[in-house]
Amino acid sequence: MEISNIFSSALLYNLARGPLVWISFLVFFAGSIFQILRILSLTKNDERIGIQAKDSKNKKKPAKEKKKEAILSWFQQLKLTIVGVSPIMIIVTTVFHICLFVVPVFLLAHNIMLDDAWGLSIITFSEKTADILTIIFLATALFFLLRRLFVGRVRSITSLYDCFIWIIATAPFLTGFLAYHQMFDYRTVIVLHMLFGELMLIAIPFTKFTHMFFFFIFRFFVKSEYSLGKGNRSWY
Amino acid sequence: MVKSERKPIEEIKDSIKGYKNILNIGCGGCSSVCLSGGQREVNMLNAELNTLFKAENGSQKIDGYTIERQCNAKYYYDLPEILLNYDCILSMACGAGVQLAAEIFSNKPVFPAVNTVSIGIDRDIGMYEEKCRACGQCVLGYTAGICPVTRCAKSLFNGPCGGTNGGGMCEISNEIPCAWHDIYERLKEQNRLDDILKIQPVMMWQNQVQRTTIQEPYKERYGK
Amino acid sequence: MLDNSTTEIDTVSIQHILNKNKTKMKLSLKVCAHCTMCAESCFLYMIHRKPEYMPSYKFINTIGKIYQKKGNVSREFLEKARDLVWENCVLCTRCYCPIGIDIPSMIAVGRSICRSQGIEQRHDK
Repeated sequence: MEISNIFSSALLYNLARGPLVWISFLVFFAGSIFQILRILSLTKNDERIGIQAKDSKNKKKPAKEKKKEAILSWFQQLKLTIVGVSPIMIIVTTVFHICLFVVPVFLLAHNIMLDDAWGLSIITFSEKTADILTIIFLATALFFLLRRLFVGRVRSITSLYDCFIWIIATAPFLTGFLAYHQMFDYRTVIVLHMLFGELMLIAIPFTKFTHMFFFFIFRFFVKSEYSLGKGNRSWY
Repeated sequence: MVKSERKPIEEIKDSIKGYKNILNIGCGGCSSVCLSGGQREVNMLNAELNTLFKAENGSQKIDGYTIERQCNAKYYYDLPEILLNYDCILSMACGAGVQLAAEIFSNKPVFPAVNTVSIGIDRDIGMYEEKCRACGQCVLGYTAGICPVTRCAKSLFNGPCGGTNGGGMCEISNEIPCAWHDIYERLKEQNRLDDILKIQPVMMWQNQVQRTTIQEPYKERYGK
Repeated sequence: MLDNSTTEIDTVSIQHILNKNKTKMKLSLKVCAHCTMCAESCFLYMIHRKPEYMPSYKFINTIGKIYQKKGNVSREFLEKARDLVWENCVLCTRCYCPIGIDIPSMIAVGRSICRSQGIEQRHDK
């Protein structure tokens, strides 16, 4: 088939495993730094405001106030957060994101290449573990797709863009899985795997994947009732 | 907006003692904005109370429902039907909302879950500063936007008392800035010191008796 | 008060508001993952249980569409947007976003755009 020939051609293969790797990582790093700086520029560091003693009843506070025992257990408190509101979604998304990160980074195949190229030898998963994690990832990705298509409230704000993004995120893992198990024409699949991986790296700073940086900056460093840290930045 | 803070849990629990089915009504207005009585606080309070009820093995149970505002009757449209299943109301709205709820549902006890503190501004997340005492005789135009009723410990209207010490602080505490010192400084900056040279008449405290405010275009309608 | 029944939309004034807030608004719109985790934090959504009350739906279909069209919106569109930003939202500012998007500010910009065209909150309903 013509298309398969294109993808298995030596030119594309060499491009995908050569210059495109460099370009995609470069764009990823440069784009990420750009986005992080841009995000930070939207907020400013506030001086933490001291409590101004305008309350005339402000007498000297007693030395140490006895800490009140919490009525709710940590589990009950957790239930009041988003974890209690949508537990399945939170568990699935946590698993999804963990696999998204650990599978490519600690994959044996990737690290063999890293070792060959730069002598960098890092810890890796066994092939079986990586396989299982990939399947888990694909299952969670499928959950997201089905949710997006069949849950009314999610569908109401879904567009074609969301589906493309889903493909960009899932395709590297799917093609990697197929390549490892040598299903279909290996050469075609591995080139597709590389191209999709590179596409995803390039897409990270310029699409909604930027939530990778946004999440940490905003949930930890910006003031809000939902802040996860003691951030002191506020929006301009 | 109106700033309030939640009462201690023991006080709330004590007030609803003896009622089996309680509805905790939250307010999407001022209470939500100052983080004292919005939907999230309703859920948290209910979780705490239900835990305490369970520990007592009592038959008390509390549910929650948040409406847009409790200070306007038109937002109560959902409640009559819902309240058929409850024998008392716990309201997380400000004092005004609690009283309107008590008036509309006069056959059911209504208990406040928050203490209404002030009319204030949002200084920072979770921090709210009182700015206005609703005296009904606003002199902010003459005092560079600093309210002597709220900020001055004696609510003086015509300059500081003799107790303001060298650092521009209030007589009652070294940590409280003297309102009149600040008024003077700001008026000086704006070249408006003449404003405080006019003697302001004695405040006819207008907030001793319940006031009804009717806006000018509606005065005829209500026969005033 | 403008008699706005037949007035043309002043795209320039809308674009002025869009430009003032461009970076924050566009970045927030881009980074929204369309996950709908904000829904349950909105008490109005909890009452009505309709997608039109989800914070994300509200800003995507007002400020989101206005940015998409670069301010070239019709009066009819803005009147629908009015309902989303005033009827479906009380700006209680309690919206939750797992990513940390400042949703109330987006609704506020939406309101400001409507107001610039003489489209204001309806009190006559």
